[in-house]
Amino acid sequence: MSYEIAVLTSMSIAILFALSLNLITGFCGQVSLGHAAFYGIGAYVAAMLTKVGLALPIALIPAAVMAGVVGILVGIASLRVRHDFLAITTMGVGFLFVGIVRKQDALGGEIGISGIPSVAFGRPGLLLLALICMVLFILLSIYIRRSWLGFAFESISDDEDTARTFGIDVSKFKLLAFVVGTAGAGIAGGLYAHHIRFIGPDSFGFVESVTVLAMVIVGGIGSIAGVAVAAAALSTLPLWLQFVDDYKLLIYGSLIFITMRFAPTGIAGIVRTLWQKRQAK
Amino acid sequence: MSLLEVQNVSIRFGGVDAVRDVSLAVEEQQLLGFIGPNGAGKTTMMRIIMGMVRPQQGSVNFRGKDITQWSVHHRVQLGLALAQQIVKPLHSLTLLDNVALAVGARHMRNPLQAFLNIDRSEARDQARKLLDFVGIGNVSNAFPSEVPLGFIKRMEVARALALEPGLLLLDEPLAGLNQTEARDLADLIASLVTPLRSVLLIEHNIGEVARICAEIYVQENGQRLMQDRAERVMASAALRQAYLGEHKS
Repeated sequence: MSYEIAVLTSMSIAILFALSLNLITGFCGQVSLGHAAFYGIGAYVAAMLTKVGLALPIALIPAAVMAGVVGILVGIASLRVRHDFLAITTMGVGFLFVGIVRKQDALGGEIGISGIPSVAFGRPGLLLLALICMVLFILLSIYIRRSWLGFAFESISDDEDTARTFGIDVSKFKLLAFVVGTAGAGIAGGLYAHHIRFIGPDSFGFVESVTVLAMVIVGGIGSIAGVAVAAAALSTLPLWLQFVDDYKLLIYGSLIFITMRFAPTGIAGIVRTLWQKRQAK
Repeated sequence: MSLLEVQNVSIRFGGVDAVRDVSLAVEEQQLLGFIGPNGAGKTTMMRIIMGMVRPQQGSVNFRGKDITQWSVHHRVQLGLALAQQIVKPLHSLTLLDNVALAVGARHMRNPLQAFLNIDRSEARDQARKLLDFVGIGNVSNAFPSEVPLGFIKRMEVARALALEPGLLLLDEPLAGLNQTEARDLADLIASLVTPLRSVLLIEHNIGEVARICAEIYVQENGQRLMQDRAERVMASAALRQAYLGEHKS
């Protein structure tokens, strides 16, 4: 039973993490190759706070705030760059995070932080907390998608110059996407730290950023259901198949390539096409 | 006071004067034609008025406010709207939602307001009426990639109208259309002028501009050539010289 709980917890955290990137990249069209940095910020903040006695549900709040604040700063710095330049900028942020953490003794340096306390009610308690956070983020994503905020994001994602001609203050909306998305990643990171109970700089490197991007791309950029399914599948694969864990970057990189080349709309697009064909018959 | 007053604007791109010391005014309830040969700086002027580029000299005033340093979205919120020369539909949205998005622009003045508003049905109803008005209501659920260029040009006009602008800027809306399509769209443009709305029509199709505009502004090589009643502009030797390179006898 504890194995199933661990798998479900990993899955919930991965879905939350992937949906947080989906909000930035899928909804608002801002490519990020450094999302793991915000996952890491949340993980470190939450781990340090629970180590001094704060309960995890409370510690997740500053974790989200800290990730969101850094998200705003990165967002502000990224406002003038687009597309591939933005991807490279955010990739740089990811490397910067790992580089800084490695040199901070207060953060455990290369060794990282171990002995992260367990959550009240143990593993089932953490699963419950992860499920609650995941469901809330799914509901938030659905709400945003249906609101005029989602409509504005969609127009910015499609063509931000045209969005401006509707009177949309593109910069503000992009920053909001960064804040909400990075805060979501911060919560996911806080949960991850208490799931694994050990974190180090390498837990939040480029591989993690590519992994979460693979979840968004394979699921279908912008699709809440598609990304959730892809995140669930891709997060459990390494647990079931050892070689997936061994060749993570190769496999996820290949998945990104294959999806972008042959089915750029991802799982969601394939299902939609099949459904439309069935309806047409 | 004019609705729009562009005063002595100049802009250089890489050492070339795209627009030099140009002044232009659009009055309330006016349809002003804006013509000039290739390279005259017409689109640059449109971009200056919309705020897509900032002039190095001069000022732009709209509704009595100096908007020279304003961003595009602030100018749109004040009542300027643009239908661009190169059509820019949002490809992921149907024609109806392209227009509905503009209808609901007031919901998107800031992210919080946009977050708190959900209902799109009212905006879609209004968008449907606008698409009917520009004559493409029958394809409202099509995506931009599924309809001809003429339809997208009309959708762009509907989208600009949806913003309820005080001044509508149309940048070569007739380009790429056949004669019948151009004539029909020109008739539609002429009908857009109301007591609350003026239109500045940049166009290469001089015949249609002369047919629907009472007054025409002419620009050549980034400089103002003349602004006068259409029949006088069309009869002027300076216009022929600008377009054909003829010399006065």
